[in-house]
Amino acid sequence: MARVIGGIGASHAPSMEHVYDAGDDVRRNDEWEPLFGPFSEVSSWLAELRPDRLVVIYNDHMDEFFLNAYPTFALGVADSYPVADEGFGARPFPPLPGDAALGWHIARSLVADEFDPTICQELEVDHGVLSPLPMVDFAEGEGAWRIPIVPLAVNVILHPLPTPRRCWKLGQAVRRAILSYPEDLGVVVVGTGGLSHQLTGPRFGAVTPEWDQEFMRLLAEDPERLCDYTHEDLIKLGGTESVEVVNWLAMRGALGPEATAKVTAYYPHKIMGYGLQSYAVAA
Amino acid sequence: MTSSTDELTADYLQRLAAVQPSDLPADLDLFSEDTATRGIRLNKAAYSLKHAEQRELFAADEERWMEQFGLTGEERDLLRRRDWIGLWRGGMTIYVMVKLSGVTGTPLPEIGKQMREAG
Repeated sequence: MARVIGGIGASHAPSMEHVYDAGDDVRRNDEWEPLFGPFSEVSSWLAELRPDRLVVIYNDHMDEFFLNAYPTFALGVADSYPVADEGFGARPFPPLPGDAALGWHIARSLVADEFDPTICQELEVDHGVLSPLPMVDFAEGEGAWRIPIVPLAVNVILHPLPTPRRCWKLGQAVRRAILSYPEDLGVVVVGTGGLSHQLTGPRFGAVTPEWDQEFMRLLAEDPERLCDYTHEDLIKLGGTESVEVVNWLAMRGALGPEATAKVTAYYPHKIMGYGLQSYAVAA
Repeated sequence: MTSSTDELTADYLQRLAAVQPSDLPADLDLFSEDTATRGIRLNKAAYSLKHAEQRELFAADEERWMEQFGLTGEERDLLRRRDWIGLWRGGMTIYVMVKLSGVTGTPLPEIGKQMREAG
């Protein structure tokens, strides 16, 4: 049977893509070492852990889904996920390998669990997946991705949004889906987005480091407490776009009660509170 | 017999209220019923720019590009003026605004500066 063997929470942002694409000199300079140094730690840990699959809980930024029919939850059931063109031309990565069979199993399990995702046989993934993933899962030498993914998108854009508690329960349902998969696979669950940022209106650029660090502490030590926060709370604490942290909460829900935080890194810089957290799960 | 008020429990009403943030400062506008309804044409327009051929059309003939989306005269003016805070107030989300920032060669910090100054 499949197992959940670890978790990663990571911010996602176009800025991270620009830095990655600029190469090692920029990634490891004084400006970006506080973020890319910890990413390299997480990458080494993942290389040792050797997961067979990644389930990536993220949000799209109107690069695949649009307002004509906006899905609350959308699950990939494809063997390949092309890189979305976000308006600047797609980044030069090969399509990400998927696992359609695992995707379909998760779809059935979620529906059995009374979660009803939009089921996607085709899905282009944007920086919600593509900005943190190369740092932990791309073999630059070979120009190839290492680990097949199953993407799960959460609506954090068009209110009404699924609540933090709902996303926590979604994570728990993803866990049951993984545990009930008959193949012997080690799965790491990734949640991307946040932390604090405000990209609209007169408060553009506001970052709130104290809350971001409290969020990561609560996620590690008392994640169910975060279910009591409303979107209104999260917006007041971290900015309108910071509600993406529900993707982290879903990830945490998939890890089970025995998970412990390993790397916890935080770097407030310019208009973003960048966070990174890795979780070990006892075998 | 159960009356509808019995079914609408306090717990339910609290949950219903929680998905409609209502106590936010005025400058933390939500993308919800009002903004989404107001912004549908502008969002459709800027969303189209994920396609290279739409970006080419924008570059070649912005007026012709605008004709495709049923934009109002006011919305076209906001686009022509690169009035970022106006576009935001008109219901354009930041996610498609980023695509518009690409084709107009406006860096995000520049958009941010305009947003902050308008506050």
